[in-house]
Amino acid sequence: MNESPVSTGESTATVSSGSAAGAVPRARAGVARWRWAVAGLLLLAAVYAPFQLVPFHVFQLTMVLVYALALLGLNLLVGHAGQISLGHGAFFAVGAYATAIPLARWDVPHLVTLPIAAGVAFLLGLALGLPAMRLRGLYLALVTLAIAIFLVPLLKRFEEVTGGSMGLTLPKPAPPAWTGLAEDQWLYFLALAVALVAFGLAAGLLRSRVGRALHAIRDNEAAAEVMGVRLSYYKTLAFAWSALFAGAAGCVYTWVIGFVSPDSFVVTLSITLLAGIVVGGLGSQAGPLFGALFVMFVPSISQDVNKAAPGVIFGLLIIAVMYVAPTGLAGLAGRAADSLKKTLRKG
Amino acid sequence: MNELVVSELHAGYGGAQVLHGVSFTVGEGEIGAILGPNGAGKTTLLRALSGMVKGRGSVRLDGVELLGSSPDTLARRGVAHVPEGRGTFMPLTVEENLRLGAYVRRSGVDADLDRIYGYFPALKPRLKQAAGSLSGGEQQMLALGRALMLRPRLLLLDEPSLGLAPLVTRELFRIVRAINEQERTTVVVVEQNAHLALGIAQQAHVLETGRIVLSGTAARIRADEQVAQSYLGYRV
Amino acid sequence: MAGFLQQIVVGLGAGAIYASLALALVLIYRFTGIVNFAQGELAMFSAYVAWQFMAVGVPFWLALVLALAVSFVGGMLIERVIIRPVEGAPELTVVIVTVGLFIFVNAAAGWIWSFLIKDFPNPFPSGAIEAGGLTVGFSTLGVFVVVGVVMGLLYLLFQHTKIGLGMRAVSANPDSARLVGIRVGWTLALGWGLAATVGAVSGVLVAPLLFLEPNMMGGVLIYAFAAATLGGFDSPIGAVVGGLIVGVAETLAGAYVSAVGPDLKVGVPLVIILGVLLLRPQGLFGRAVVERA
Repeated sequence: MNESPVSTGESTATVSSGSAAGAVPRARAGVARWRWAVAGLLLLAAVYAPFQLVPFHVFQLTMVLVYALALLGLNLLVGHAGQISLGHGAFFAVGAYATAIPLARWDVPHLVTLPIAAGVAFLLGLALGLPAMRLRGLYLALVTLAIAIFLVPLLKRFEEVTGGSMGLTLPKPAPPAWTGLAEDQWLYFLALAVALVAFGLAAGLLRSRVGRALHAIRDNEAAAEVMGVRLSYYKTLAFAWSALFAGAAGCVYTWVIGFVSPDSFVVTLSITLLAGIVVGGLGSQAGPLFGALFVMFVPSISQDVNKAAPGVIFGLLIIAVMYVAPTGLAGLAGRAADSLKKTLRKG
Repeated sequence: MNELVVSELHAGYGGAQVLHGVSFTVGEGEIGAILGPNGAGKTTLLRALSGMVKGRGSVRLDGVELLGSSPDTLARRGVAHVPEGRGTFMPLTVEENLRLGAYVRRSGVDADLDRIYGYFPALKPRLKQAAGSLSGGEQQMLALGRALMLRPRLLLLDEPSLGLAPLVTRELFRIVRAINEQERTTVVVVEQNAHLALGIAQQAHVLETGRIVLSGTAARIRADEQVAQSYLGYRV
Repeated sequence: MAGFLQQIVVGLGAGAIYASLALALVLIYRFTGIVNFAQGELAMFSAYVAWQFMAVGVPFWLALVLALAVSFVGGMLIERVIIRPVEGAPELTVVIVTVGLFIFVNAAAGWIWSFLIKDFPNPFPSGAIEAGGLTVGFSTLGVFVVVGVVMGLLYLLFQHTKIGLGMRAVSANPDSARLVGIRVGWTLALGWGLAATVGAVSGVLVAPLLFLEPNMMGGVLIYAFAAATLGGFDSPIGAVVGGLIVGVAETLAGAYVSAVGPDLKVGVPLVIILGVLLLRPQGLFGRAVVERA
């Protein structure tokens, strides 16, 4: 209110440092090599796992991949663009229904539904993003929350298309005979493939001009605008891309579950997704994966104690993460790995 | 005895040190002017005196250490700070702004309001008006009035002339002088307009990049045009 | 025509409840610039506290007073313990913390009192006044009276007490408030306590109309957000007017717009929020805020 744009006194002088600007190239190469090694090992384990686990655990891992996809989208928006969505479950739901309806009505091949779901969610994100992104982050949270709440009765209302409260039951993609895979394994590999492509896309997106613009917006919106970043354009784009990933997650979800109903997509889903990405690690590449593991396994483990236990854990952890480790589990894991490396080098 | 003794004061923001060992004294009931170019640390100095930024060293008022206390505690001890930008409570009325000045006091508030109207008759017809609707000069008067409502032992003024027309500024300084004479309040005034500040101060201290580079009576500094010019960068 | 007026009365009754929760949101926003996503859950928790007192035999009105007192202290504690560490942090961080609080309070209520619905007594008699073809239930009137009393008390507090003046000073200019000797930290906590108390009133008003259960306030919250957005997030009067308008709009849309109907009424707050943000972002009564870097 009383701060003029041109500061006359010395009182407002604060020092801000560019985030990753001054990293030493050699150290960076080392980190990159280390990352590739971890990613390679992870991938090996991911391919090996379904042959070692019972079907239920394979299913759980498949769901982890589904959540990771959705969180990848949310991470783009919240972690990288600094905009908050309390309604990402809505895009997840839209993707699920954009998959289920063509499957149920026209019996299209499963793979065709993926671009449909992603495309519909992207367009919806674009359409909603255009007005919503003119708003400050706070209002975006309100609007997205309202959308998530509104979607459920809307889905129930258009019963003839959506199946109403009863939902739609759908065929799951059948494993081709030449693979020799069981259904749960095939679903797992489909989810893995989609997730890999999506993570690749997201990484590419973030390395491009778009990613730099998003980081500029997150770090200082006003400054980014002064530097010529077209705020509403990039914010809308981030919103649409993040909707796309959530839509793809909804699509794979539908393949895996073979059933959609409005009550699977109540506002709790949106809030759980936000919790997942916050705990997993905002703005970190591994964040969605950690978040997905968390969203999948914390409830299934803690629910035995009390039905409310997952909520209590989520709630407290979110707050704790914002206090002590804004980079979430991924950040903690990174720090642990760094100190491990240091110890190894010394030894 | 409301003598202000500042010695070896260091202060800054985060990692950036702004004041590097500032020492000066303002006698009881006197006006001390802090002069210096933009960025010298004048505002930081006042903020350290009122507890808004943390500092090291010593700031004693009447022998009691002020450093390390929060602004609201210092206000309770009689330190009134008219900050840069005047600190007006914009949506509140003029009268509410003034009453807030006496927030830490219990009695005699109504009488003090009348005293303030005596100094600033222009405020009286605007009592029920939102303070944000006042002109810059009126807001500066309001800020001064608000500070006086505390019945301060130490009054800190940050660039009272900033953004005001010369005539208004002169009137304001006249009032500061009158207040100082009548209430025997010790005053520290930070000013870029050295001419005006020296006109009412007994002592003056020139601050440059966080250090006092010149101290003396106002008369001496005013007389020593060459010194002033080289340190202040402009004609006195 | 009588039917139309009747719908308006119904809408105003709902709106008064939205107004009370919106008032709580606005109180916190004015003091701290925080939109408290957990406000509805805190109100729900307060209703449970009142229920708990009644369950051990305390009469309704005393239970209400006790619950309000617990809410006040609880609100202050939340500010001191949970919000204080992120004070001044980016908006995103603060919003996420209040969402965490939302999840936690919701689950905590479920843990303590289970997710089974509970009956909550209606403090108002069940009859109604009929006048000119209009029927106004005592419980609707009761809601009006309670919300009116809350507003009146808040007005007195803010306009006619020193503490209220100090609170307004903090919301207008925290730095300057510090300089005149106001303990800003405590004042902020006081604001949260006050908001929690006002929210508790709305929780206790909602509980007899719906059933008492942990997710009770989820729907109300979005209406309260619409009310606060419509009225202007920094205007208590706006929150009340906005609440009433949202209540009436929702009821009329549900009754007369066949495409909306009773099941899609929850789209009304979405439309209102979007409409206000696009046409008049500061709301009806809010001050236009210039973005600062």
